[in-house]
Amino acid sequence: MTRHSLPTSPYCTIGPFFPGAFVTGCEDLTSFQGKQARGQRILLTGRVVEEGNRPILNAIVEIWQPDANGVFRHPLDPRVHEADPGFFGWGRARTDIEGRYSFRTVMPGASDGYAEGAPRCPHLNLMLLAIGLTRRLVTTVFFAETPDSVRDPVLDCVRDPIVRGRMLARREKDRNGATDVPVYRYDIVTRGESETPFFVD
Amino acid sequence: MDATKQNTIETSEVEYGPYQENTQLARYIKGYPRSFTRTPSQPLIERPLTLSELTGPLALEQRLGISAEDMAHLTPDAPRAMGQYIEVTGRVVDEDGAPLAGSMVEIWQANSAGKYIHEMDRHEAPVDPNFTGLGRFVTDADGCYKFRSIKPGAYPVTESDWWWRPPHIHFSIFGRSWMNRFITQIFFPGEPLNEIDLLLNAVQDSEARDRLIFQTTPTVVGAVNFLAFRRDFVLRGKHRTPALD
Repeated sequence: MTRHSLPTSPYCTIGPFFPGAFVTGCEDLTSFQGKQARGQRILLTGRVVEEGNRPILNAIVEIWQPDANGVFRHPLDPRVHEADPGFFGWGRARTDIEGRYSFRTVMPGASDGYAEGAPRCPHLNLMLLAIGLTRRLVTTVFFAETPDSVRDPVLDCVRDPIVRGRMLARREKDRNGATDVPVYRYDIVTRGESETPFFVD
Repeated sequence: MDATKQNTIETSEVEYGPYQENTQLARYIKGYPRSFTRTPSQPLIERPLTLSELTGPLALEQRLGISAEDMAHLTPDAPRAMGQYIEVTGRVVDEDGAPLAGSMVEIWQANSAGKYIHEMDRHEAPVDPNFTGLGRFVTDADGCYKFRSIKPGAYPVTESDWWWRPPHIHFSIFGRSWMNRFITQIFFPGEPLNEIDLLLNAVQDSEARDRLIFQTTPTVVGAVNFLAFRRDFVLRGKHRTPALD
């Protein structure tokens, strides 16, 4: 017999006053409990804009990703016992007056799908909260070279190659020499031309 | 608690449906201009849920600091925050009513004068030196949380010439997966401003709207009396464990 489901609580906007103290330190995912994360360090950065390409100040961006070997720090992952002890996998950042956010993290590895599903190519989950958004917006950031160079069960839900391309973080040219960590740029357009694809939530 | 050693989640039947529109706030709200300039114009895209979306950060207390239970009395030597003392309790469960133990609950709120400690807050109301308005708690084995604070004040919305936000407390909750990461605002019962608040009234269904309002429970009587409120939260997720019947 199926039990009757309880109705879910309503979501509400994050509003303008999410505490800075809840963000400080959360932009850096490259260490956990005093241990350094394994894998290629990257800087993921971009601008969040609304209609008319206007920057969204004070938006909160959160990410969730597997470690460099594609393992999620969660008991649902069959490989959880191999999870990198120096990597937690979650981060949070706030956009500045130009709409910019950035995370220091590691390049996610390819991960398992689910049950019989196809495996996932390197990606991270991203959610956005801001004044005016009554619910979170969710999307996925991919690191493929071109929109058609990989197969992925989530990326493949977006067929238009131009729209697929908006889900790829772009490697920026090294600016300050070889010692820099690679910079990947991922801009988010919540509404307008070249709108980022968001998923049903 | 080590995330890798938590109870095994029975995963084969876990199910996260999309939010029911009539039980949620409208995406576009007249009088709330940014809802029109920020909400995506394109339809949201269906996707399969894979390991990536079905997992999520657990045991956040390993990464983020936890607060003392009484936000209105930060240290024994410091004066209490100004305002009406409140105690807030509740339970975080999934759609089957199963407790979400170990969930982090983040709280933020205005002080009793309706002022936040935030650089974006331009309301000319005093800061209370004994109140930060922030708290972080973890649900117990029954999914329960509890904290003490002061009742927040109402405050005017800067861009509006009439809108005052009714007293409310913000909640950010980490469930067991990326699918039930949850953010909301909870209002106080019987507040006249509730009747005209654009956000609260953006929920069409009246029963759903009531789920954004605290329930009053008997005052906690002691050396200091606390007005007591309760709010349970139901996060998405069904069939996490097979039904017994």
